[in-house]
Amino acid sequence: MEGQHKHPIWAKLVGYAAFCVVILILPLFITDDYLLNKLARYLVFGLVAMALSISWGYAGILNLGQAVSFGLGSYCMAMALKLRTIPIQTGAEGLPDFMVWNNVKSLPWFWEPFHSYGFAIAAGVLVPTILALLIGTFVFRARVTGVYVSIITLALLVVINLVVIDRQRLTGGFNGLTDLAPLELFGLTFDPYAHATYYLIAVSLGAALFLGLAVVHSKTGLIMQAIRDDENRVRYFGYDVAAYQTFALCLSAAVAGFAGMLYTLVMAFASPTFLAVPVSLSIVIWSAVGGRASLLGSAMGAIIVTGVQGSLSDTPAFLETWTLIMGALFIIVVLFLPRGLISLVDRIPLGGSARRRAAAATGAASRSGINAG
Amino acid sequence: MAQFSRRGVVKGVAGLAGAATFGFPQIWIKNSGLARAAGGEIKVGVLYSLTGTTAIIETSLNQATLMAIEEINAAGGVNGRKLVPVVEDPASDPATFAEKARKLVIGEKCVSVFGSYTSASRKAVLPIFERYHNLYWYPTLYEGRECSMNVIYTGAVPNQQQRDFVPWLVKNFGKRFYLIGSNYIYPKEENNVCKILLQKLGGEVVGEEYVPLGHSEFSSVIEKFKNTKPNVIFSTVVGDSVVALHRQYKAAGLDPAKMPMASLTTSEEEVRAMGGEFALGHFTSAPYFMSYESPENAKFVAAIQSKYGKNAVTNFVSEPAYFQVHLFAQAAAKLAGSDLTPPTIREAAWGQEYKAPEGLVKIDGQNSHTYLWPKIGEAQMNGQFKIIEQSKEWVEPDPYWAYPGQVCTPKGMVEKKA
Repeated sequence: MEGQHKHPIWAKLVGYAAFCVVILILPLFITDDYLLNKLARYLVFGLVAMALSISWGYAGILNLGQAVSFGLGSYCMAMALKLRTIPIQTGAEGLPDFMVWNNVKSLPWFWEPFHSYGFAIAAGVLVPTILALLIGTFVFRARVTGVYVSIITLALLVVINLVVIDRQRLTGGFNGLTDLAPLELFGLTFDPYAHATYYLIAVSLGAALFLGLAVVHSKTGLIMQAIRDDENRVRYFGYDVAAYQTFALCLSAAVAGFAGMLYTLVMAFASPTFLAVPVSLSIVIWSAVGGRASLLGSAMGAIIVTGVQGSLSDTPAFLETWTLIMGALFIIVVLFLPRGLISLVDRIPLGGSARRRAAAATGAASRSGINAG
Repeated sequence: MAQFSRRGVVKGVAGLAGAATFGFPQIWIKNSGLARAAGGEIKVGVLYSLTGTTAIIETSLNQATLMAIEEINAAGGVNGRKLVPVVEDPASDPATFAEKARKLVIGEKCVSVFGSYTSASRKAVLPIFERYHNLYWYPTLYEGRECSMNVIYTGAVPNQQQRDFVPWLVKNFGKRFYLIGSNYIYPKEENNVCKILLQKLGGEVVGEEYVPLGHSEFSSVIEKFKNTKPNVIFSTVVGDSVVALHRQYKAAGLDPAKMPMASLTTSEEEVRAMGGEFALGHFTSAPYFMSYESPENAKFVAAIQSKYGKNAVTNFVSEPAYFQVHLFAQAAAKLAGSDLTPPTIREAAWGQEYKAPEGLVKIDGQNSHTYLWPKIGEAQMNGQFKIIEQSKEWVEPDPYWAYPGQVCTPKGMVEKKA
């Protein structure tokens, strides 16, 4: 593509490392609890957008149900924290308040193991992963592709959302799980305003970015990208396409589930709106704006979009027009930067890539020379 | 209570166009840092959705709140100090509610915040108010069974809406009730109260059913009405479902004179959406109707209509949204300027009385809920309610009415010793 450079891996690593350094030192400049909390929230969005990039940007699976993983992770964490709240009606060891209101007599069986943090944290990652494994196995073995995968994942999201709202005796329904205790782990308290929470999220995002980078540059990652570009050709080479697609979906779901758990810590509640269509579509928009084929691009897309959204809607002058302005910005980015904001970075020429381009051009010229001859 | 409306989206878009054309009222502060520096002002948060699914109703709450603030400032403010509203748009989304509430409480250091329509959004912001010992003023009728020290509740709780309503229905129509509601906590709690009242009156529940939020297909429900032949259809269906239920009821040829719907959630707003002919002859119980005749209400309605257009309507949520600001101002006026903090305001608010459009209201000094004046209205062709009955005295709020032994006090909920 004209003006685009394929940057070498070291340039990427430097970029990723710089991003991690920035998010880790930011709290030194923030004195306001509220701003720190807001920033932590944006980083969580960054994490879930980065997760989508694994499946969408690298494996070509547009998962419109990303909020399923995010929401399930959020609920797993919230269930553990809810069981540590002392309800004012029933006292210590009592039932969560909404169960009392719904005339539930004893704690439902699937709530029991959430007394353990270890179980809850494992569940927050494994439940979305296992669900992705099931979906992936059925969908990709049946060779469902493209827009149909999106439709199936979107439908799944709607179904799960309805079930969570409808089974309010067990889930808290429309109000979600509120009045949660803060997470206490390793002698640290992760409440929404604590620096500990922010650093947990920043470190998680950094670790996920490097882990993701390792995966997409591995052989598996290359095959995922090949499947994205031409599924049938990869299949004719003898690769098990469905297995790679399922792997991408599962990895994406695991990261999104983890992000959901962090989100519960930042928000201090879990709501069915976390696993609803608007969140799912937002994740797609963040990733598209930042650059879906870049992990860092997607993460930054989420941070930039939610940051701009937050400050626009905070500005009295834009109080009634901010949604319109956001819409216009999306359209502009998608029209003029179809590969997202990160493609601006790709236009920066680097010494190494220029040399490689020159070499490639020479190679092409000599090949055509042979053909001509 | 929660309501959903696709109209909200349309309204949001219309609002955008309107804002672009007309600019913004001057009372929105342009620079929050400036306002904090000015010592002669009192900052309060205004947290109602201006966009999203509940925008249409919450915009009316935002307007009623801002109007009350203007009135207070025009009359000299609170002991000479002006109220400065900080308006935020939480976009009908609980997570955004929490983010904006944090900004108002921690960032802007407001001494109180007026906000929320749905219980879900109130529950989402509650941890912030409790953690930072701030004060949230919540105007919506809701299911009760909450006892937060950081909320002043000015909407009705079940005992206030039902105490007179259910006996009146039994007397005039009969003892057989069919309970129909949307599937969430508010209708279930209201029905818990209704069943207790019916038991005392020797009534009978012939059906109890909950439809999903936003449900619009009632033919099977209406078939059950025909089969069970209740005397009263007791409805706590909300939002767009209200419109669908009323229209399909009429289309099925049922007669409000024999089998009326008795609702706790159908306001002038829903009647306007469905059309007067579909609401005609059905009943609603609420502390406030736009048609209520009192000097205070005449003034309130006239002020809203002169400010927001002659088609603007008031309803049983916008009225508390309006009077609770006056109650706040009265409480704040009792305090010295240096002493103005959310906990002192709460204490000063207890026992405050105000001549509201619905009648003289008072904040209870124990449970922070409000004494109100329940009324029974019959929907008319013109979209208004004709007030048929009204309580002879104000009715005490009891958020734990259905749960003997549980009482809300300033120290949190306590169990009475049996």
